[in-house]
Amino acid sequence: MDRRDFVRLLAAVPLVPSLKAEAAPADGLPKLNVVTKYAPSATPGMPGPYPGRVIAVKSEKSVDVETSAANDEVVREMMARGMCALTGKKTALEAWRQFVVPADVVGIKVNCGGYPWCISAYEIVAEVVRQLGAAGVPPTQVYIYERFQNQLDECNYAARLPAGITVVAAETRNQRADNRGYDPATYVEADLFGEEDTRSNMMRLVSQKLTKIINVPNMKDHGATGATGCLKNIAYGSFSNVARTHYRGKSHTYSFVGTLASVEPLRSRTVLQIMDGLRGVWHGGPFARTRKYVFYPKQILFGTDPVAIDRLLLDIIDDERKRHGAISIYDRSPQYLKIDDGRARDADPNVNIIIREPGHVEFAAGLGLGVADKARIKVQDVVV
Amino acid sequence: MTALLWLAALPCLYWTQGIESAPALKKAAVERVCVPADQAEAWSKAAVTAVPLTDTDLGLRETVAAPGIRPRADRASATRSPWVFTNGSRFLRDPAGKFLYDLPAGKAALAAAEAYAYGADAVLKIDPADLESLGQMLAFLAALPKNELPDVADVAVVDDGSATMGEALNLLVRRNLLFKIVPAPSDKHRVSVMLGTPEYPADAAKDPSAFALKVRRQLTDEQRSLRIFGTEIVIGRLTGDGARVRLHLLNYGGRDTDGVRVRLRGTYPEGEARVAGSGKVSLEERGVVDGGTEFTVPRLGPYGVVDLPAVK
Repeated sequence: MDRRDFVRLLAAVPLVPSLKAEAAPADGLPKLNVVTKYAPSATPGMPGPYPGRVIAVKSEKSVDVETSAANDEVVREMMARGMCALTGKKTALEAWRQFVVPADVVGIKVNCGGYPWCISAYEIVAEVVRQLGAAGVPPTQVYIYERFQNQLDECNYAARLPAGITVVAAETRNQRADNRGYDPATYVEADLFGEEDTRSNMMRLVSQKLTKIINVPNMKDHGATGATGCLKNIAYGSFSNVARTHYRGKSHTYSFVGTLASVEPLRSRTVLQIMDGLRGVWHGGPFARTRKYVFYPKQILFGTDPVAIDRLLLDIIDDERKRHGAISIYDRSPQYLKIDDGRARDADPNVNIIIREPGHVEFAAGLGLGVADKARIKVQDVVV
Repeated sequence: MTALLWLAALPCLYWTQGIESAPALKKAAVERVCVPADQAEAWSKAAVTAVPLTDTDLGLRETVAAPGIRPRADRASATRSPWVFTNGSRFLRDPAGKFLYDLPAGKAALAAAEAYAYGADAVLKIDPADLESLGQMLAFLAALPKNELPDVADVAVVDDGSATMGEALNLLVRRNLLFKIVPAPSDKHRVSVMLGTPEYPADAAKDPSAFALKVRRQLTDEQRSLRIFGTEIVIGRLTGDGARVRLHLLNYGGRDTDGVRVRLRGTYPEGEARVAGSGKVSLEERGVVDGGTEFTVPRLGPYGVVDLPAVK
């Protein structure tokens, strides 16, 4: 990063720790009130020490496209090469020590929404756990988390991980009956569509227990945001009552995703982004109940800047859609909109059920979460 | 109020089985039933208080809906708040009314709580399978500290008696917008609503949901006496007299809800909650924020009450 980039980035980051910030609504954006007692750390994890920098590690051998099985050895090699390239360290252990210390309580934010075909890969999650252990973080201080326990149960990470690791969710399932996993004092308040419950609360695990978070999203299309990657996984996966942002074809994800991701302490504690692009979903996301829209980018992206990685993701998803003759994620025309018709969307990649908001990535950049300008994103390719 | 009178203030189970079913009632802790008039004499020998109810009495009662929710599966997004069936507005609209619930299985306890929370004179026809859960609820209601307080209301509504206004009032209840029905526009409330005025034209309540939203926006969320977070299926009735308040919380979801967050406008000291199925529970994570008192009811079954003293 050169000095000019650094100064520009500073300008985008709120310098005053705003404990109760009001993002002024502009251009029809909803008023979002952030309530938190947590101050940002000296260097917030997002965008962290490497704004605008992405390491793309690719390997043709990483996944067997016939069986969809990942190659564990290759994935480990990809992980090591990616971490070393990101940090400039010679060994994976040195690289991991840059992000965690033995006293840390580490959360690994996985994504289970694309079960069974596109979830945070077991091989990647297991390698993260292995490296945390090598860096001195014991299994009892590692938490694999999601919002819904039934999704975690489907994925069953525990069976593939060392004993002692906690696999935990805030809610039993998506039915809004469990709120005790959320912090009542840390939330974003917004009246988006006249809904009665106007608060989205941060998970207690995030605000009260974890000291570091490693984000492991997938490369997926998303009906409301255009694509779901680092920002959406960490934001919508750490707060309650978020699906209220979509209603009858309209989505407020444009400003809500980044705003949630910027709330302390989530922003400061999310120190590493490892985007699992071994498999991907180019339509119908965030779900992948069938293989119909699954594709195989065969890569893993590394960085600390979620915006930069997600900016690349938008192109990856859009390019794959173009390859299949599907409409762009940027297409807002009403002719493709069949509001709330999930069946039509699943059957036809030229159907949107919500007008997508891929601009949420750029909005997040405006909040200081990272770099969205492709001209300023430096991608280093590594081939394994 | 004597114990007998208090018992009479509880919703009454309409029971058509013979006196041989008295032990089952006792076992379920049901101490008072309404019975067909021609069975009253036989029931006088049982150790259960039996109130005779003629078919005419029964027929004159207004039948109300079985309380609960209907999920809206047609919505692909999760802004799919379930439709809540509540009778609160009907009870508030006609406080002297007499009502009848004719309930499917699984609804008796919530219906009893709902009638109690609104002080409604209600008779319940139930599925016999609900006898135990109803008995538990009635015992819970009977054991609550007596606390009859007037409604706290943010909105004054002139009720024109129309069906349209009835549905509009229903939406105000469902949105936890506290209102009082008044004979004429009132400046004692933060918002005053009368259809046919420039602010609320005659057709303003045609879309009840839009009507409720307009009232809410005029009042503003900051000025609301009651907010409930973490759920959209819990409805509150707030009563108070300046020296204390009682908040009735009705959970229409059919399952317990964990961590119901409540915000009451104003500053209140520590209070306590009594929750059906759990008894006396502590309010958690209490705080005073921006002119409101917030606390969490750790777990809410079909019904609970929160009693708070006012600041001296």
